[in-house]
Amino acid sequence: MRSVNALIWRNIKLFFKDKGMFFTSLITPAILLVLYVTFLADVYRDTFTSSLPQGIALPQNIADGLVGAQLMSSILAVSCVTVAFCSNFLMVQDKSNGSVRDLRMTPVSPAALAVGYYAATFISTFIIAAAGMALCLIYVWAVGWFMSLADVLFLLLDVFVLTLFGTALSSVVNFFLSTQGQASAVGTIVSAGYGFICGAYMPISSFDEGLRNVLSCLPGTYGTSLIRNHSLRGVLSAMSSAGAAPQVTDSVRDFLDCNLYFFGSRVGIGEMYAVLVSSVAVLLAVYIVMNVAKSRK
Amino acid sequence: MDNIIEISALNKSFGRIRAVKDLSFKVRQGELFAFLGVNGAGKSTTINIMCGQTPKDSGSVTIAGADIDRYPAAIKKKLGVVFQSSVLDRALSVRDNLRSRAALYGLTGRDFEARLARLARLLSFEELLRRPLGKLSGGQRRRIDVARALIHEPEILVLDEPTTGLDPQTRRTLWDVVAGLRRDRNMTVFLTTHYMEEAAEADHVLIIDGGAVAAEGTPLELKNAYTGDFITLYGVDEVSVKSLGVKYERTIDGFKLSVPDTAAATELIVRHPDVFKDYEIAKGKMDDVFLAVTGKKLTGDMV
Repeated sequence: MRSVNALIWRNIKLFFKDKGMFFTSLITPAILLVLYVTFLADVYRDTFTSSLPQGIALPQNIADGLVGAQLMSSILAVSCVTVAFCSNFLMVQDKSNGSVRDLRMTPVSPAALAVGYYAATFISTFIIAAAGMALCLIYVWAVGWFMSLADVLFLLLDVFVLTLFGTALSSVVNFFLSTQGQASAVGTIVSAGYGFICGAYMPISSFDEGLRNVLSCLPGTYGTSLIRNHSLRGVLSAMSSAGAAPQVTDSVRDFLDCNLYFFGSRVGIGEMYAVLVSSVAVLLAVYIVMNVAKSRK
Repeated sequence: MDNIIEISALNKSFGRIRAVKDLSFKVRQGELFAFLGVNGAGKSTTINIMCGQTPKDSGSVTIAGADIDRYPAAIKKKLGVVFQSSVLDRALSVRDNLRSRAALYGLTGRDFEARLARLARLLSFEELLRRPLGKLSGGQRRRIDVARALIHEPEILVLDEPTTGLDPQTRRTLWDVVAGLRRDRNMTVFLTTHYMEEAAEADHVLIIDGGAVAAEGTPLELKNAYTGDFITLYGVDEVSVKSLGVKYERTIDGFKLSVPDTAAATELIVRHPDVFKDYEIAKGKMDDVFLAVTGKKLTGDMV
């Protein structure tokens, strides 16, 4: 345990000492927020307005609250995974500069080394993601606040679980990388593509049925939906209080992926957590087995 | 003296390339063992197998009485390795680097601080403890590499081309420290180097070529077996040298004569006292041994 703690301490310290790695990770949520507000806020607002049945008009503060909450949920859903890939760059860097040879020279087991990278990446990513969440909450507070304390705490839990997932996924993918060029390429691909396949950039409900079914098989989708649910619960409740019919709020929930369907069956919140946690367990097991197997080759 | 490293019939292939072929050798406790070979000869593969980094195809590797397949963790505690280039974390301070590595051997708290203070004194880096490794000069970094290798007080120090690119003063410091460790702690040193001057100081030399043992013995045994003696002759003209009937070459101050061995040199001098008035006799160098054994030259120009 002492060895694993030492590895975690070393990896976290290296991450925060490497200004390139740290600041790239830190500014990712901030840049996403600026880009979303600048380019997508109006698009989201128009989409909401046009999706409502004729004759129903949303109060301005609720419309702004919806847009703000959706932006926040999209940013957090993407950041927890993309920042994890960025933080996990250290694992590849250690291979490319030879540090991992020195670590493997010690009596520490390959599994402990793997856990050291995983835990350090998780802690670094969670710190960044929590900072991003704080930034987003300030933005939501400024445009229209409808969240309860429970929503915020659940949102933090969602970020926690999705960060666990992002870290596990990046650990498995980065395991196969050995140069910084490869890591940069993978980071770029993940940054560009993950937002689409997890339903952060565009709601999965807007895709055709075949694609919806495929995406519903990916665990990250449920992380996005959890964040959506807890970000939007308050504002959707305010919509109902403002007189919107249950069918209207339910159609908005469908449209924004708060309601998620697995081949036509609606997936509950508890099941979403179960999918994510199971995925983390499976990915982590695969990652550790790969490390142990490699050391025996 | 007991054998601390025993390697027997070791084989390792990478695809169709046989990197190590039936390699067998022993290293006695406390000795300075030089393991020589050109790049690609199989040195690194052998070291990686000894250190548990690369699995072998066949053969046995026993270190400090433990089999590498059965007790890799125990063996790793006995080994300290100075790699060819520094593999410590450049962004971390010297203290943080050594603390993070020491903890992996279970060395923390006061025990670590005491060990660190001892090593800092030994290798003269007390004033560098707070500085990031990346800001140190090559020589300073090398001292930290050595400290890292010694942090857990290993029984065997593996030096993989430790002095390449170092200035003479740092090289001298390093060898003084190694000599002190051997004297005070009977530490075994397993050295690979391209500098034949360093190999000449070894207790035992093994030359590996194409993954197999090409020659081994003490430096004197190897010199006697693979090179002749040289007589450098001063203050004579070339006609006199030519009359001796041996192979020679002109040097700046005189002539360098090649003879098969010391006995032949003595006989030649006794037969021609009129020519040999100012001369010196030397055995061949390890470079000559290496060239004679492998037909190749090791490139390791001294700084």
